[in-house]
Amino acid sequence: MTNNRRLIVGFATLAVIAAIWYVMTEATGWISPGRFPTPLDTWDALSQVTFGEYANGALYEHAFHSVKLVLLGFMVAAGIGVPLGLLMGWNSKAEALINPIFLLIRPIPPLAWIPLAILWLGLGDAAKVMVIWFAAFVPSVVNSYTGVKAIDPAVIEAVRMLGTPRWRFIREVMIPAALPMIFTGLRLSLQASWTTLVAAELVGALYGLGRVLNVAQQDIYPGMILVGMISVAILGWATTMILGQVEQRSLRWMQVRG
Amino acid sequence: MSLAMQTKINLSEMSADRAQPQRSAVTPPIRLTRSERMRLGTIGLIGFIGIWSLLSLTGLVPRQFLPAPHEVLIRFIELLGTPFAGATLVEHLASSFMRFAYGFLLAAMIGIPLGLLMGWYRWLDDVITPIFDMLRFIAPIAWVPFAALWFGTGIGGPIMIIFAGAFPPCLINAYRGARFVNRNVIEAAQMLGTSNLRIVTEVLLPASIPSIVAGLRVSAGLAWQSLIGAELIVASAGVGFMMVQAQAGVATATVMTCMLAIGLVGLLIDVALRQIETAIRRRHGQS
Amino acid sequence: MASIEFSSVGKVFNRAGIDFVTLDGVDLSVAEKEFVAIVGPSGCGKTTCLRMAAGFEFPTLGTVKVNYRDVTAPGPDRAVVFQQFALFPWKTVAQNIELGLRNKGVPKVERQERVKNAIALMSLQGYESAYPHQLSGGMQQRVAIARAYVLEPEVLLMDEPFGALDAQTRVSMQEELVRLARVNPRTVLFITHAVEEAVYLADRVAIMTKRPGRIKEIIDIKSVRLAEKWDEHERIEDVMDLESFVHLRTHIWRSLREEKGSQVH
Ligand SMILES: Nc1ncnc2c1ncn2[C@@H]1O[C@H](COP(=O)(O)OP(=O)(O)OP(=O)(O)O)[C@@H](O)[C@H]1O
Ligand SMILES: [Mg+2]
Repeated sequence: MTNNRRLIVGFATLAVIAAIWYVMTEATGWISPGRFPTPLDTWDALSQVTFGEYANGALYEHAFHSVKLVLLGFMVAAGIGVPLGLLMGWNSKAEALINPIFLLIRPIPPLAWIPLAILWLGLGDAAKVMVIWFAAFVPSVVNSYTGVKAIDPAVIEAVRMLGTPRWRFIREVMIPAALPMIFTGLRLSLQASWTTLVAAELVGALYGLGRVLNVAQQDIYPGMILVGMISVAILGWATTMILGQVEQRSLRWMQVRG
Repeated sequence: MSLAMQTKINLSEMSADRAQPQRSAVTPPIRLTRSERMRLGTIGLIGFIGIWSLLSLTGLVPRQFLPAPHEVLIRFIELLGTPFAGATLVEHLASSFMRFAYGFLLAAMIGIPLGLLMGWYRWLDDVITPIFDMLRFIAPIAWVPFAALWFGTGIGGPIMIIFAGAFPPCLINAYRGARFVNRNVIEAAQMLGTSNLRIVTEVLLPASIPSIVAGLRVSAGLAWQSLIGAELIVASAGVGFMMVQAQAGVATATVMTCMLAIGLVGLLIDVALRQIETAIRRRHGQS
Repeated sequence: MASIEFSSVGKVFNRAGIDFVTLDGVDLSVAEKEFVAIVGPSGCGKTTCLRMAAGFEFPTLGTVKVNYRDVTAPGPDRAVVFQQFALFPWKTVAQNIELGLRNKGVPKVERQERVKNAIALMSLQGYESAYPHQLSGGMQQRVAIARAYVLEPEVLLMDEPFGALDAQTRVSMQEELVRLARVNPRTVLFITHAVEEAVYLADRVAIMTKRPGRIKEIIDIKSVRLAEKWDEHERIEDVMDLESFVHLRTHIWRSLREEKGSQVH
């Protein structure tokens, strides 16, 4: 009932917004088309970049490029960050060794690495992957670390009592125990990856949705700006959904009800 | 002789645990003493700075691209007084901080009341939530083109980006705070004939303060980082702008100095808000 | 072959720089296949004793031996039933019970057989693929016991294993444990707050003093039980009505009360 209500009101709201959009731009022209696109402008921009080219490529090429970089940076970050977080959570020597370095670097926001990345690696893909890596790395490490720290000490004693070999412990106890937190970290990492990528591409890139935004800004082409923003939002949403699916699958034991 | 007396003698030579586990495959987490922790931490830091220095000083990485740590420090001190890209580091920082403050306050001033009202009025919740959910996936930085178009690249544009970064946590935490206020308290207020607006300002607001303050901390972090992003792209002043200029001139030490400064200011903002948070939490009897 | 031996065991914990003497000269030996229960005031160090036998904690003074060897680490030869269950939430009941057997390298077919038996023994049939959070507290405790039993350990260490159970389940678990102990005796160290439980289950009951803990008195139950033929009664309440039982219970009660009475606070 309440869900239905929400859905209806939600759709109604969106419909009203669309109507307002139309009235304010197309119908009355109260908002000048130079500031915000009319629905028609947006449609034109969309078909231009979908069927033709804009900023060196078609929409699907830009999208593909951005997704590729995000996934690459995210996976490398998670692939290093999660094991490092697990190690730091389990081994207090590793933690004591690495934590101060972490504390030193952590306050620097990922976006602040962009100029350095460009200096080092130029405007190509490598710089983007590096910045995304930085952005996605911290949440992966921190949350995996917290997940391991939060393991019930009694569970660890049970593991020892049962004579569990090290690798089995890691695979069957440590990782599953930390997994909810690991996924929390991965979600934050993914979000940070998108933010960083868009920023990095806005600062300078040859392809990608950020590039589309950048060129559209320079061309003062509001329709294309909107198309770029919506594309980023949809891709961000889609990758988050996929991660959520993986999470649900991996944490099935938490979902089953008694 | 009682153990209490014996241990005085024995403990010194026998520290807490005598036997060391050998058989179990999984060894229990070790507790480090403070001094061990300090020692390892120092080793870690020295190692980090050492590798950095080594890479730079030996020329393994060209000095131009990786200045040694001390060079960054020297540059930092230099830039405090020497202008770069039109202003000194302090001036750039001040101009960044001003924008940060405006954007952050604006986000708080709109986000918190709106969140509280959404927590009280169902219809408002139903209307705002779908819009909010739609906008949530747009990275704050993706607003840059519109921000520049609508408010220019001087102060208005960056403030809008900061707002886009800072607004969601303000709204969400105020909303959650208001939503999870103890029903009994609300009912008691209603019984006393309190008007709706009064309930929001005098019941929901005080009760949500811990949640709101927590949100403000998250919000400030995002605001600061969004601002840097915005300044990298569109600005004519500020640390972000200074960084881009330095990057264009391959002044790596200056870029790193800016990163250091950004980190420091971000840290200060966080520490300040954390102080406020603990103070408020204490006043509200929560720990 | 398996016995537990505490000789002049002292244990000092250091909390915030201050030494707390928790155990001061504990002497206790559990013979092979003997069931010894420890009772004592709260905080006297019962759990600490058990944890030393398990290998989680080590004596500051004296020695703890199992099988005539110093305990150096935990292991599946000394199965522990933890007070807080300590089950693996992401493993099903069967997987929880199976883990120890896998660690020991028991072949799959035998493993499944033994898990099945343990599940049947603890009346958990039908819940093999349930997760711990889907079970009641009593059922979780039974899984924890099954996980220990399935190892067929030489030594069983149980820390208030029935503490979290409701009265009915508790009684049936007690009866079950007695049955098992008679059919297939093992070396058991059993901690409890419930005097009746101790008298009903154990061969001997060790009473501890308040902190710093020491063994104050050891009561032989087995000889009375055999002489008075408790085992002929199937139900716990019938045993508890026997004069010999009441006598032992009252004795232990008095002894414990003295400890409580002499407590400072
Ligand atoms: N790891 C530890 N560090 C410091 N003190 C401890 C530690 N473990 C136990 N103690 C202290 O040792 C004393 C005995 O604890 P123990 O858990 O053995 O008591 P117990 O007899 O099992 O009590 P209860 O019947 O309440 O379970 C307590 O005062 C406790 O605070
Ligand atoms: Mg205890």
